[in-house]
Order: sequence, then structure tokens, then C-alpha cells
Amino acid sequence: MERQKAISLSGFENGHRIESRILEERIQQAIEDGYRVLEIEAFGQHGIGGRLWKAGSDRLHIKISGAPGQRVGSLGFPNTLIEVLGPCSDDVGWLNGGADIVVHGHATNGVANGMAQGKVYVAGNIGARGMTMTKHNPRFAPPELWVLGSAGDYFAEFMAGGIAVVCGHVPQDPANVLGFRPCVGMVGGRIYFRGPHKGYSKGDAKLISIADRDWAWLADNLETYLAAIGRMDLYPEIANREQWQVLQARGPHEKYSKPRRSIESFHKDVWDSELGRGGLIGDLVDFDRSQVPLITTGFLRRYVPVWENKKFAAPCEASCPTGIPVHERWRLIREGRVDEAVDLALAYTPFPASVCGYLCPNLCMQGCTRQTERMIPVDITQLGKASIRAKLPELPPLTGKRIAVIGGGPSGISAAWQLRRQGHEAIVYDMRPELGGKISAMIPRSRIPDEVIEAEVARVKGVLPHVNLHQRLEKSDIEELREEFDFIVIASGTQKPRVLPIPGKEKLIPALNFLLMCKAGQAKVGKRVLIIGAGNVGCDAAAEAHRFGAEEILLIDIQEPLSFGKERKEAEAVGAKFRWPCFSKAVTDEGLELTTGEIIPADTIIISVGDVPELDFLPENIETERGFIKVNEHYQTSDPKFFAIGDTVKLGLLTDAIGAGRKAAQRIGEILSGKSLTPAGPRSKIDYARVKLEYFDPRLAGFDGIESCASQCSSCGTCRDCGICATICPESAISRQVLLNGNGFEMVVDPEKCIGCGFCAGACPCGVWDLVANESFD
Amino acid sequence: MLSNGSIIPSSLSVKDLLWQVQWDKEKCTLCGRCCAVCPVHAIELGVHRKRHVQIPSLAEIGPATSSSNVYQVYHGVRQRTDPAYACIGCAMCNLVCPNGAIIPLKSDEADKLRFHINRGGQPRRRGGRRNVPDSLGTLDRIKFIRISMLTDPALDAGRHEFELRTLLGRVLPPEENLKLYRENGWIPPVREIYPLIIGSMSFGALSPSMWEGLQMGVGYLNEELGMPVRMCTGEGGCPPRLLRSRFLKYTILQIASGYFGWDEIIHALPEMKEDPCAIEIKYGQGAKPGDGGLLMWYKVNKLIAAIRGVPSGVSLPSPPTHQTQYSIEESVAKMIQSMSMAWGFRVPVYPKISGTSTALSVLNNLTRNPYAAGLAIDGEDGGTGAAYSVSMDHMGHPIASNIRDCYLNLARIGKQNEVPLFAGGGVGKNGKIAANAAALIMLGASGVQVGKYMMQAAAGCLGSESDRCNICNIGQCPKGITSQDPRLYRRLDPEKVAERVVDIFLAFDTELKKIVAPLGRSTSLPIGMSDALAIDDKAASERLQIKYVV
Repeated sequence: MERQKAISLSGFENGHRIESRILEERIQQAIEDGYRVLEIEAFGQHGIGGRLWKAGSDRLHIKISGAPGQRVGSLGFPNTLIEVLGPCSDDVGWLNGGADIVVHGHATNGVANGMAQGKVYVAGNIGARGMTMTKHNPRFAPPELWVLGSAGDYFAEFMAGGIAVVCGHVPQDPANVLGFRPCVGMVGGRIYFRGPHKGYSKGDAKLISIADRDWAWLADNLETYLAAIGRMDLYPEIANREQWQVLQARGPHEKYSKPRRSIESFHKDVWDSELGRGGLIGDLVDFDRSQVPLITTGFLRRYVPVWENKKFAAPCEASCPTGIPVHERWRLIREGRVDEAVDLALAYTPFPASVCGYLCPNLCMQGCTRQTERMIPVDITQLGKASIRAKLPELPPLTGKRIAVIGGGPSGISAAWQLRRQGHEAIVYDMRPELGGKISAMIPRSRIPDEVIEAEVARVKGVLPHVNLHQRLEKSDIEELREEFDFIVIASGTQKPRVLPIPGKEKLIPALNFLLMCKAGQAKVGKRVLIIGAGNVGCDAAAEAHRFGAEEILLIDIQEPLSFGKERKEAEAVGAKFRWPCFSKAVTDEGLELTTGEIIPADTIIISVGDVPELDFLPENIETERGFIKVNEHYQTSDPKFFAIGDTVKLGLLTDAIGAGRKAAQRIGEILSGKSLTPAGPRSKIDYARVKLEYFDPRLAGFDGIESCASQCSSCGTCRDCGICATICPESAISRQVLLNGNGFEMVVDPEKCIGCGFCAGACPCGVWDLVANESFD
Repeated sequence: MLSNGSIIPSSLSVKDLLWQVQWDKEKCTLCGRCCAVCPVHAIELGVHRKRHVQIPSLAEIGPATSSSNVYQVYHGVRQRTDPAYACIGCAMCNLVCPNGAIIPLKSDEADKLRFHINRGGQPRRRGGRRNVPDSLGTLDRIKFIRISMLTDPALDAGRHEFELRTLLGRVLPPEENLKLYRENGWIPPVREIYPLIIGSMSFGALSPSMWEGLQMGVGYLNEELGMPVRMCTGEGGCPPRLLRSRFLKYTILQIASGYFGWDEIIHALPEMKEDPCAIEIKYGQGAKPGDGGLLMWYKVNKLIAAIRGVPSGVSLPSPPTHQTQYSIEESVAKMIQSMSMAWGFRVPVYPKISGTSTALSVLNNLTRNPYAAGLAIDGEDGGTGAAYSVSMDHMGHPIASNIRDCYLNLARIGKQNEVPLFAGGGVGKNGKIAANAAALIMLGASGVQVGKYMMQAAAGCLGSESDRCNICNIGQCPKGITSQDPRLYRRLDPEKVAERVVDIFLAFDTELKKIVAPLGRSTSLPIGMSDALAIDDKAASERLQIKYVV
């Protein structure tokens, strides 16, 4: 080594400590002046030995005696070797950029803080927070800290690189050479240490075994270190591989793998072992509680589809007072069983052609689901008209039970018809030579061809015995009947026209009488006909009056007329006028005087304000109400042996009368047989919204025959066997299965496939499928 | 609705609904999952008719060739508009849809539905949240402004060791405590617990999976991670096995006006291995102050019945008030005495009330009662399993000023370190759980109770302040959090809930440290350290007596 130019500098001058700034200036000046060995007597000055780049590549040797201040060698350069001849204050080697620093004693806190290159050799122990925030810049060799004894607390916090070596020779705390909580936040570098420790941040660092290469490096560099601090004597004692351990920073991916018991293990080994199998409620429930997916099948479905075939009545059936299952008839037609469809009607009504085909306002059509979407309803009149050829089924033998039916009109015939179909003998008593009541006696010819009525009346006559009464029944006659029969059904209708209590009322012609005369071809009318009461009967009277030659026909009413349908149309067609409100005051020779004083001129005045039953023959014990017979829901009167139906109970349509007859007969049959004849019970009408009409052509303007009608019926509430449900099911869970008895089929859901989406219910044209809550777990 | 049907006043279109289901015909594969999963049947398969008017070239139209109509049918998922089946926006449909073909979107204007959810004269009831998005602005807006910058010891949340614990129990002044200690006198029991408490949610309000998951998570935090987290049972009893396990010490048992499950608790007394952490006497809850509850008979299944000690299938009323208590004095004296006696005065007993302008009266009374272990106040933003909308939306007192008033009053009488206050009601409702908790603590709370946050963070509750889902009351919770139907609650795995509970507390712990460390605190909670707080609202700063900053 060539002889170096040396200089001594003191931090103490003229009895005073010089400022750190002044000493720094003198050191830098000495370097500029070419000195390469500086002996410095320190008096607490800051940062001695750093920043000496002015020496260029020349080696510098700074020897510090006395008491250096903080941050010896801070911002040090690789050309510099600093030797502190005694102990040293805080932050030795702070932000060291390459200087080698040897401390021949202990060092206090913060040794090597932020050191990036260079080496710090400490010949004793170090204080807290040594080797913190150190770095390793790949352009340079890693920084090194060597400590002969032990590290203080919080050693290697946030250490990001470099090598620390703690030799554990005469440590401050013999039980712990690394101090309290080392390695917190450590992300890089490694720590070789010798001696016991009391834990380190396990999330940040891990203990690894010392590899051969590591040991070779350590043993080699240990020699250099011990030589630098002049303690080669310790080499044999310290260079003992067995005594060394290595702490290494965890990689980013190892960071959070702190050994923690898994929840699964806690659940099984801690939780359930303390609480018992099944955990908190294992003793209270007995079913499986394992996790289920969002989409489930079988018992785990929240909702399940149900095939509610025929559970609800179609609106046509529910709307028909007679209760005819119209949709069933259309189904038979769709199946090609036209005769059965036609014949089926006779189970419900003796007048399928007359009433359904001509006279009924067809409530079934008014109720038809198609109407809800402004589509034309399925036309029952076509099927009704075809029913003229309906054939009677074979009738059962007589049971011996006998029922008298008073009145041969629609309700009486219906009751007798049904009773006979049950096997009971029903005898009809009537004042007229022909059965049929209003149907045959009063309905204008324009409304229905005679031959239709004749054919249906003939069919009825073939079944029912008829007693033609020649005089009105008296109370005594009824008492006789009571003795003779099991039940008596009163179906005598309304025979007595209501009249107005006004002067000249005797000049009024009751509509009932007028229509009878018309039907018999014996009516006579003037040119100007006035009809008081503009209901449907009034309209019939107007049409008939026109047929018999009336030229001006006026119908008046006290309110807006309630007439509707065919009757109203026909009256309007013959030019009848309607006027309201008009209140009659008197009938005069000129016509009708109103309460206003106005006189409406008329040649014939017909009164059509309703009729009332004639019930003089009724036994005392049968209660009446406002002129009508009082009955319960089964049409049974206050005398249980007597039933009353039709207009004697309440004015209504023909279909109302026929339905009443059927229901009364059903009840009588139940009483006689002692068993229910309506096993299913009355079904409620299906919710229209369940039926899907989108499958049909909304612009259809009319039907071309009964097959066309049948094809457009949506079969509300009854499966039409279209198979759409089986097709739409996303899980292919629905299949059609033939019933065991071979008679019919059912749609079956495989619960193990079904997810309870309700697509079947959404797609079903008939509204047969529904989605309901699955049965409870409890 | 029938497209051609007649209307009633409550006939609504999709546009009138709060949540509108968008369905994409192109993407839909008609797999049925959306309809199967929808908790309220808001969607169904619809049959749709498509009309094509077919017109051959106009030149060709004539008597022989004419234009025609062709109808085709397609099936699609459609939304029901009947208010009874209104979409709740939970988006489970979207969750199960393999193609992303369906999603509920919120109406772009105030819905009309709200005017029709009172059929049969029954006002709207719901579970969940207040639906007042900005209602907790106060807590969210509080800033922590006193940061140690070269002043105080600046602490590092990642590096320092923290001891974030609070005390539950009556803390006597030292001289009194020493005197009693010397004389072998009775010293009130005090628990050192974690300041974030899982607030009262009953077994019944929560599903068995959720309840067990929370308890299991709490058990794990205590036993595996050394965090003394506590959970309150709510009023619904406590499973007998828990009562007889060591985990009972992590549990705060609640007693309320219905006293459900308490005979089972009494029967378990002789067999208890551990005392419970504390007893909470519920006088009110923030979501529906002054209103009681009614668990309908059809929800009282075998399990609920067994835990509540009632036969199944009966309705369980929980009246608004305790039936035999007529004044603060009587309530405090009677209930606290009785509950203390049950465990030989070894267990802290404290009341929980709704946030109210009368909280000070209650508090003042408690300060005079040596057995009162603290006071919990549940602010208006508290959640619930079921309440009338009007109660949830309009009843109650915000927690911030209520807790502040109470704390300042305690300070005035020199007992601020003696009667701990616990704050609840909307803590973390916008996700800022640690900030809200720290704000309440610095306003004077010794700890905070959270419920909804746990449901959302630990179990994925879909509820929101925008009226999403919020059907806890009807037992159809699509996540299985509040349902008693095994078909629903089995969707939730208690183990996964427990895992989330652990995550939540660890994350909360870090966040709380990030707040208190810069304030220079590491070993004691900064209870009442209001000089650290500020808000950018002059009136709020004056009301809360904290700094005003802009």
C-alpha cells in the first residue's frame, strides 16, 4: 500500500465543541486537500464519515476516537472505511451507500437503518430497531450488518434486503439474542443468528435450515468480520455450524399462510366436540342440514307443480245454470266422438236443441274465456242445434218411488226428466194438452222452428207420463197428492199477469195471454200497438204484434229497458220504438195517458210488466215470500216433502228453470237413495288468468261447423292432451302415463328431475297445471 | 293481468314497479332456474303470440294471391305486476341465470307500488333496512383530524402491538373499589371484551345456519385468535346445547318483553359450565322504537318452538313494553336485580333501549343503581327482521347525538369511566364499519353493536337502503339468512359464515388500528376522545361538540 497522506482533526477547539457543520466542512476540505487517512477526535458531531465522494476511487480510512454523535457514516460511499474506536451512538450506517463501518464497541439504536450497501461491523451489542428498512439494490452487493453480541428490540422491522449476522457472543439478554418482536414487516433478506430467541413475526419471516452454501459464505465472512474487529480469537467458538440458525423473509405468496386452524377443523374438532354431533341444534332436529344448491329437486324444491285436471269448472260450465259441461262436449268432438258429444247433453237437459240451440242467451258463451281477450266465444248454438238428434240412453228400471211434478214447463220437465233418469217415477200434472210450458206455448215462431220444439217435446213425452188437468188444482187435490207420492215438485210457473192499478186497466191485454193467442194463430192487433214494459217478453210481444199486422209499435218503460239479446234485436228489427221513462196514469179510448198528461195514442195496449205465480192451491204450511215460494238451496220448501222450482221461486231464464229442476231432482234422489249424487261437489270456476289464449288465432271471425268450434275451445281446466307441458319442461321431468285401468291418462312429474320452475303451469293452454308450496319439513 | 282486462285502482304496469325485470329473449335458454329461485314468484313463464303479416310482392296481390297473417307462439319469462308479487330486486334470477339473460333494474322514477302495499288495510311491513340512503351521513362524515405528526408517540398500525379492548360492566372509582376489596365487599362484575359486538339478532329472526355460523365464528375468534368477541342472542332463547357449553361465556343473553326461551335458560342454570358474558335487557330496538313484535304461528316450527319453550304452531307476541314494569325506576330495579340474582351477581346486567330523547332519563337512573352494568342504545338506523315501514322510516333517534348527549352527561357527573355506553343502529351501513365504530367510540361509546353489517358481510344479505330485497319478515330470505325453511337456510353453510365472521373481525381490527394508531392510541380505546373528531357541518359540529372543518 502506498503511503497515505494523513491528518488529525478534532471536534474540540479552544475549549469548545465545534458544530457538526464546521467539522463536516473541515473533513471535506481535508479530502479535497488530498488527505486519505483522517483521524478524528469526535465530540458528539453528527454524521461523521459519510458523503466523501470527492476522494474518487481513492480509499479513505476514517478513524474516529472520542464520542461520535448520531449517524456515523450516514450516506456513506464505497471508498470509505470508518473505524469507531469505541462505542457508538444511534443510527450508525444510516442510509449507507457503500461504506464499511467498524464499531469497536456497542452501538445504540437504529444501527444500519435504511442501509442499502456497505457493511457495518459492531464488536458488541446493538440497541433497538437495528437493520430496519434495509434494502438490496440488485446493481450492488447486499448490505451487511455484523453484530458480535445481540440485537435490541424490534430488530429487522420492514427489512427489505441485505444480510444481518448476530453472533450471540456475550449477549445483553442471554435468553434472547434477537430482542422483542423482530422481523415485523420483513419482506426481504436474511438473518443469521446464533443463540436463543423469543419469537419473531411468523407472518413475515420463517426459520430455515442453514444450507452448505450459506454456511460456506458465513464461515468465510465471519473470519473477515472477526479480523476487522480484532477478535479472531473467537473464531473457533463462533464458527460452529450447529449453533447457527437462519431467518428468511417470507415471499409475498407465503405471507398469509400463517398456520391457523381451518374453520372446518374448528367446526369438527372444537365446536362439535364441545356441543355434540350436529352442533348447536343437533339435538333438536333430525334431518340433514348439509348445504343445498339454489336449484333443487325432489323434496328440497320450494314449489312443486300439480296437474289439477278437472279440479276447476270451465267458465262455460260454471256459467250455465243448467250446469252442462260444454267443454267436455267439445273435447268429445275433437276426439271424433260426435254422437257422444251430442248425447251427453241429455244428461243435463231435456231441451238441448231448443234451449242451447235457440232460446238461451247462452251464458256459457258469455262466460267463455275467449271473450276475455275479445275473441269470439265458441259457438254452442251449433252444437245445440245438432242436439236435435240426441238419443236417449237406456233408462233404468223403476225403483217404486213416485214423485208428482206440478207443471209441465221447462223446470217441471227437467225435474221429472232427471228423476226418471235416476229410476224414479215422475208424473207431470199440467193444465195444457201439450207438455213444454212456455217453450211450446209462448215463444214466438220467429225464434225457433216448430219442428225443433215438437221433436224435443216428443222425446220427453216418450219418457214421462203426463196427466192433463182440466181444472185448476185445489188445496184438497194437493193433500191427495201428498198422500199418494213420495215428493211433490211444484213447477207451475207464473200464470197470473201483473197489472197496473190504474183506471181503464181492464182494457189492457196481458202479454202472456197475447203471446198464447199469437202462438195459437188467433191474435188480433190494431195498427198502433203500445206495450207497457219493455223487457224481453215485451219485445217478444212486439215482434208478434208486427207479425199480426201492427204498423207502429212503441214500448215504454219506467226506466231504461232491461231487454237484451235476440228478443231485443227482433223487436228492433220490426221497427219497434222504445221510450222511457214513462209513468202510466190511465187507459183511455184514445190510448194511454201518462202522469205528465200526455196521451200516447194506441189501438192495442199490451201490458208486460211481469207475471206472478198463482199459488192458491198451496198448502198452508208452505211459506211464501212476496208471492213466490220460499226454498232452501236445494229448492226444498218449508214442507220437506215439497220442492218448488222455476218461476214459482224466482223469475229467470229457461236455463235457470232447467237447472233448478235438475238440482231439485238431484236432492230428491239423494234423499231417496240416501247417498250423495254429486261426489265431486260443486267445482269452482277456474281463474281465467290460468288459461292461455295466445295459442289461438285472435282474428278468427267465425266457426265453420262444430269441428271448427271444438278446435278453438281452450278446454279450460281440463287437460286437452297437447303435451306442451312435457315439451316446455326444461328438465324433461313430465311424462304422459296411461292409467292402470287403461282408461285415460295422466301427466306425471318426476320429482327427482323437476326443479319447481312452474314452466308447465306457465305454458299450459288449459290452466290445468299449478305451482304450489311443497310440503313442510316439520 | 289480462291484456284486455278491466283495471282496478291497484292495477299496475311494470313501469309502476320499483324493480323492473329485464329479460333478454336472445340470451334466454328457458332453463327455468330464474323462476324456480325467485323468492316471491315475481316472474313466470309467459306464452307470447307473435304476429307476422305476410305480404307477397304488392304487384302479385290480387284475387288469387293475397296478404295473410301468420301467428307464432313463443315462450318467455315475464314479470308479474300484481303488487302481491312485485319484484324485490334481489337479483337471484341473475345469480342463477347461465346466460345473464335476466336482471332486475330499479325504476327511473319513484315507484307507484308504494301507494298500493296496504291491501286489506294492512300497512306495509318489511324486514331489513330503513331505505333512507343518506340517513347515516353524520357518522360517515366524521373525520379523525388529530393525527400525531411528530407530536405524541406516532404509532404504526402494522407494527405496534395493540390491545383494543373495552370494559362491559360497572367500573367503580378506584378508591371505592379498593375499599370494597379490602372489606371483601361485592365488586360489580366487569368483562374485558372486544369493542365490536354482534348485536342482538334472535334465533328465529335469523336462520339456524346463520345463527350457528355467527356463534361459530365468535368461538373461533376467541379460542383460535384470542379476540374476546361477544355476541348477543336477541330475544329468541338460546339453544340448550350452547347454554351448557363453554361457548356460553362468549354470549350475551338477551331478555325481552316476550321472555321467550327463558324457562329453558333457567332449567339450564344448574348445568352451565360457564357464566354468560352478560345479560341484556331489551326495552327497545332502533328499527321500530316503541313497537313490539309478533312471530306468526306458521313460522313457529318445531325447532323454534323447542328453543323458545313453546308449542309449535302458536303465534308469539313480544309486546312493546314489559308487562309488569311501569317506570324507569321499577324496570331498572326489578329487572337488573332479578337477572343479577340468577347468576349470583357474577354477570353484568344492562338494559338496551331505542335511541330516544328520553335516553338521558334512563341513563341518570342507571347511574344511581349500583347493579347497572351499562347502557346500550340502538339508534334509528338499526335493522330488523320485521317492522312496519312507518316505524322503520320515521321512528327513533339518530345514534350519534344520542350517545354524545349521554356521554357528556356522564362526564358532567363524573361517571364517564364508570357506566359504559354501547352504541348501535346502522353502524357500517355504508360499509364503513371501522370508521363508524371509531367515531362512536370517540363520541363516547365504549363499544358498538352491529347486526345488519354482519348479515351483509358474513352471509351476503342482499338488502340495501334502496329497498332491495328487505323481505326478512316473510321467511323467504333467498340467501337463507332469515328463513326458518330448511329449503332456504340450507343454502347457507354455517362454516362459511364463521369464516366470514373471522375475516370481518380481522379486517375491522386492522382498520380500527389504522384509525387509532395515528391518534397515538394502542393500548386503550379512545373512548370520548372527541378532540380527534371533526365534521364539515357547522350545525352537526355544534350539536356533537366536535370541531368544525371544511
